[in-house]
Amino acid sequence: MSPSMDRRTFLVGAAVGTAALALGLWRLRPALSGGSAGSGAVGAALVGAVAAPPPYGDWRDVYRNRWAWDKVVRSSHWVNCWYQAHCAWNVYVKDGLVWREEQAADYPQVRPDVPDFNPRGCQKGACFSERMYDPARVKYPLKRVGERGSGKWQRISWDQALDEIADSVIDTIVNEGTDRVIWDLGPGISLGPQTAGQGRLRVLLDSTSLDMNTEIGDGHRGAAETFGKMVFERSADDYFFSDLILIWGGNPVATQIPNAHFLLEARYHGAQLVCIAPDVSPSSIHADLWVPVKPGGDAALGLAVAHELVEGRLYDAAFVREQTDLPLLVREDTRRFLRASDLESGGDENVLYLHDPKRGVVEAPRRHLGLGGLEPSLEGRFEVALHDGKKVSVRPVFAVLREHLAAYTPEAAAELCGTPASVIRELAKRLARAKSAAMVTTSNITKYYHGNLMERAQALVFALTGNFGKKGSGFVGFPFLMHDGLNEFVLSMFDLRLRALIGAASLVDEARLKLAGFTDEMVVYERSRRSFESGQEVSGALFWYVHGGLLEASEKLQDWDPYLKRPVRQVLDESLAKGWQYVWPKPGNDPRVMFSLVSNPLRRIRAYPLLLKTLWPKLRTIVTIDWRMTSTAMHSDYVLPAAGWYERAEHKWVTPLMPFIHGGEKATTFYEAKSDWEIFARLARAVDRRAAARGVKAFKDRAGRDRSFEGLYDRFTSNGEFGPTDDEKVASALLQYSSNLEGVEWEQLKKKGWARFTGIGNAIASIGTATRIKPDDTITPFTDHVFEKKPYPTLSRRIQFYLDQDLYLELGEALPVHKDPPAAGGHYPLQLTGGHTRWSIHAAWRDDHLMLRQQRGQPVMYMSRPDADARGISDGARVRVFNDLASFEVMAKLSPALRPGQLILYHAWENFQFAGGKGFQNLIPSPLNPVELAGGQFHLRPMTICLQPSHTDRDTRVEVERA
Amino acid sequence: MSKRQLAMVFDLNKCLGCQTCTIACKRLWTREEGMEYMWWATVNTMPGRGTPRDWEQSGGGFRDGVAQAGRLPTKEDFGDAWEFNHEEVFFGGKGDSAYLKIQGQEPDWGPNWDEDQGAGEYPNSYYFYLPRICNHCTHPACLEACPRKAIIKREEDGIVLIDEDRCRGYRFCMEACPYKKIYFNQVKKVSQKCIFCFPRVEQGVAPACARQCPGRVRFVGYKDDPNGPIWKLVEKWKVALPLHPEFGTEPNVYYVPPLSPPRFDAAGNIDESKPRIPDEYLVSLFGPKVLEALAVLKAEMAKTRAGGKSELLDVLIAYEWKSMFGGFDKDPASIEWKKV
Repeated sequence: MSPSMDRRTFLVGAAVGTAALALGLWRLRPALSGGSAGSGAVGAALVGAVAAPPPYGDWRDVYRNRWAWDKVVRSSHWVNCWYQAHCAWNVYVKDGLVWREEQAADYPQVRPDVPDFNPRGCQKGACFSERMYDPARVKYPLKRVGERGSGKWQRISWDQALDEIADSVIDTIVNEGTDRVIWDLGPGISLGPQTAGQGRLRVLLDSTSLDMNTEIGDGHRGAAETFGKMVFERSADDYFFSDLILIWGGNPVATQIPNAHFLLEARYHGAQLVCIAPDVSPSSIHADLWVPVKPGGDAALGLAVAHELVEGRLYDAAFVREQTDLPLLVREDTRRFLRASDLESGGDENVLYLHDPKRGVVEAPRRHLGLGGLEPSLEGRFEVALHDGKKVSVRPVFAVLREHLAAYTPEAAAELCGTPASVIRELAKRLARAKSAAMVTTSNITKYYHGNLMERAQALVFALTGNFGKKGSGFVGFPFLMHDGLNEFVLSMFDLRLRALIGAASLVDEARLKLAGFTDEMVVYERSRRSFESGQEVSGALFWYVHGGLLEASEKLQDWDPYLKRPVRQVLDESLAKGWQYVWPKPGNDPRVMFSLVSNPLRRIRAYPLLLKTLWPKLRTIVTIDWRMTSTAMHSDYVLPAAGWYERAEHKWVTPLMPFIHGGEKATTFYEAKSDWEIFARLARAVDRRAAARGVKAFKDRAGRDRSFEGLYDRFTSNGEFGPTDDEKVASALLQYSSNLEGVEWEQLKKKGWARFTGIGNAIASIGTATRIKPDDTITPFTDHVFEKKPYPTLSRRIQFYLDQDLYLELGEALPVHKDPPAAGGHYPLQLTGGHTRWSIHAAWRDDHLMLRQQRGQPVMYMSRPDADARGISDGARVRVFNDLASFEVMAKLSPALRPGQLILYHAWENFQFAGGKGFQNLIPSPLNPVELAGGQFHLRPMTICLQPSHTDRDTRVEVERA
Repeated sequence: MSKRQLAMVFDLNKCLGCQTCTIACKRLWTREEGMEYMWWATVNTMPGRGTPRDWEQSGGGFRDGVAQAGRLPTKEDFGDAWEFNHEEVFFGGKGDSAYLKIQGQEPDWGPNWDEDQGAGEYPNSYYFYLPRICNHCTHPACLEACPRKAIIKREEDGIVLIDEDRCRGYRFCMEACPYKKIYFNQVKKVSQKCIFCFPRVEQGVAPACARQCPGRVRFVGYKDDPNGPIWKLVEKWKVALPLHPEFGTEPNVYYVPPLSPPRFDAAGNIDESKPRIPDEYLVSLFGPKVLEALAVLKAEMAKTRAGGKSELLDVLIAYEWKSMFGGFDKDPASIEWKKV
């Protein structure tokens, strides 16, 4: 890499400009006495222009001038802050460079009796103006000139970089197959113009795009198993209608900084805030009741609460009968639901039954949740005759559940979860008393190996108390809210005839599904499932397990997980053979080219050294597209500099917690960085041109059809309509294709910075919230189900607690059950857990020097005092952490807030922040839980962002010693 | 005495410990040479040694009206501006042998070193966040200590400022300030500290730490404005108290003291007989009135829990965010600077 101005020269020479110069002048001037502090004099004393130094009165004017600016541009941080996304920022520009930022803070109050959303933001956003100029930035396209990971780079031109990458892509798709080109999409994806470019190129090249949601560990499998979907969430101001709020499995005070005030203010408004967590966390300290629990003990806790609710008859029977599967009948002989296929030859596998005291065993309603006069039995044992004449005994799930819960008396559960029995009873009492109980969503529990069981138990508690649909109520899955114009925009590059064909086929298909009783969301999910079947979408988690070599870390799983009866590899083979889950490329077909788009798999993926060992040698070309150097960029062949967040026009998805789409303009430029849209447009052009220059005409897609290289660039740009620098036109088109941002125009959005969603829309990532968005009200999920009686997208069409798929029966998980966490990594005494950090969004600020100075300048691992004392470890000591997989070194941070036995190493330190480059994830095996390989049944089949195997880390066992 | 006094109230029950105030201030004011190590706004986990280290035991202020000797904190007590080796790691060609680390001597302190540690014994451990800025005291020890008369307290709003033209860097102010919120600029050889964002305040804009606080912790306004939040919280409801009133400087930053979840007895049962954060610790920070303030807060919260209304809690909730700023609620982006 050629030398350039170092950071200090750069900032002082260009950015500081006015102030630095002025400061110098001021020092030379005689001080003038008694400058007026009144506001009148101030305006005149300040200038925005660089040319003339301002007339300084005295030292006060230095400060006054420091605050001044040339122009203000609306922008935001287009990173996946998820729960805290997003915030409208004003970017203050001085001398062409971003000088600082401040929250715009002009959101309207939605209703007078709930607080407004201002001034959303956090410390990370408040210093991006510094981060964007720091030495982690990538300034030019870089090509590796040493071994991978050697840190030896050559600066090359964009043309050279894109031509070389295009050649590798062409070679791969022509000679080996389109599925060998992998897109690894990271947490930087906006689903705005940036992602639109990637989407078009992927479709044109028929390459493989990884769905990384479950790999991150955000799969919320328990929610998906129970509700048939994982996305449903309220708006953060809806907590104002709750009288009990459970922070159960998360730490929103540290990780949902812009939302947290709603929780704490709801508390002042009269809600009780209960925090269920192992440690005295930043959220626990603000609670009215902190409930300590062993890490991984939450299923036992939830089931014990359920035990109290059921035994005390404190449940909402009407809700349970109508909205849940608890009245449905289960056969005692097979432990499976009684199905129409049992009762009549050729009967429907998906039709289930309930018992009504007057009408006997009848079909459970499927197209509408209304019971129409039925009063399903929750108890009892009934005999039915099968179509082969055999008589079997059936029972409602509720009766089976009640027996099942007998094992979870508070005293018995206390042994499993560490929560005192009296506290469990108190929690049950408060839940039963609450008019509207809500849960705060986080993605912590879903990162446990048995997280699905824990989530199912949580959902059970809320369902038993009827806490869904009412304002301020509800267990929640995962928050996601996006415009629904992305797919249409991507497909709009095809000619009208093809689009008409696709459109017509789609309408026919939808009509057919609707006739079969599919709701709108079921239709959306069904389509996603087909794209998993055909390889258009691929489970990232399975990709890394199978192609990345990660499964090697699960080889000792039977030793770690006492509930496991056979090797997980065997279950995987069965799952792939039966079409329960899918992997692309097909096993044996090695991936060759990988694009990491604002993604960082070597930082993110547990047991990442296995990727370097197994996957990296298979890859011919590894390209990282990012605005900064990352652990993955350092092991890539090419690093392409993407525009930073203030350097491109963008709009980005959010969540219902904050139901405003955010958009903004380009405030400045940075060296040779380009917007992602431009990078993809130019890459499309390079592929087109290189193929022509080399005389390569066509390639075969994975369906076996010939596709021409010629015209690829024209298709990408819609025949020039969306050229490489037309980001804003793309941004505008995406809005126009969307149904849930009525009346929102790009020209206004980019100036205003935000616009409230007018509906949840039809995108797969949003539709699950199943409710209306009104301009003057808070958002409560599931009103469609609870009040309009629309069926849930599950096998039973209800909130489903009983799962009778083969693997669930094999593993004893038909009903939610407590299982001790596996000893992942070996039988060591300490449990290494984690959580999102206050200090970074993923790794984007992990090596930021301002953020590091507010920590200890390096990774730390929280440790309890008793555990440290037993090992002779003092606060600040360097320790070695190890297990059967690997080891790393880190600074120990001792805290009485930690539960003995638990270690916390917060999220997303880069590998290059550890001695020897040994990142802390190197010893996290992320064992593959076989139950996650399930499929086949209506709602257990994989779809976008859920119901695929996931990666987990909270069960990792280690020992620690002084380094 | 100034004619009027600007003040702030920090509601510790809403503080997230996120340090957005810290960073907002840093990005606006302390980025010049010589200011790198400064954090005019800080947040510390309490109990803890704080910023600068052990500031509570560093003397200064007044006892019975008599100035007390104080200790001069070192740069290490504040925490230095660590430098890192990004270039070497990313582009130095050293592979895994180079990793990102603080250059020079490994530090043993920083401005937020004891974050989330606190005191007590699990499961009855406790902590809370304490944000601090210059208290813009009514009786500023720094002002009295300055032999150069370089420290002024503004007539119109009571903001305490160090006149950098007059300051000669003797640092008596740093010794005298019992809150240790003054830094020394080694490059310019002057003392510097929080200026209550006077350039913003002059334009009707709330200080950056307050306006940028996502937890909506910081109320701003004139103390004597009966319609503003400060008067309501300090004078009317008496739930906001100064930190270490015994330091004798009459601070103008007030704190709504922290509540805490109930503790557990030896058998693990909820034990409400005494609070998780010991009363004596809170009294040591905020004086004996803290117990009354907490009682008022709890009584009002009991009202809203029973479905009732509370004027106090409505103020603290701040349904309209702008209501927190006592009229200093202008949007800074609406200002257009005119060329001279």
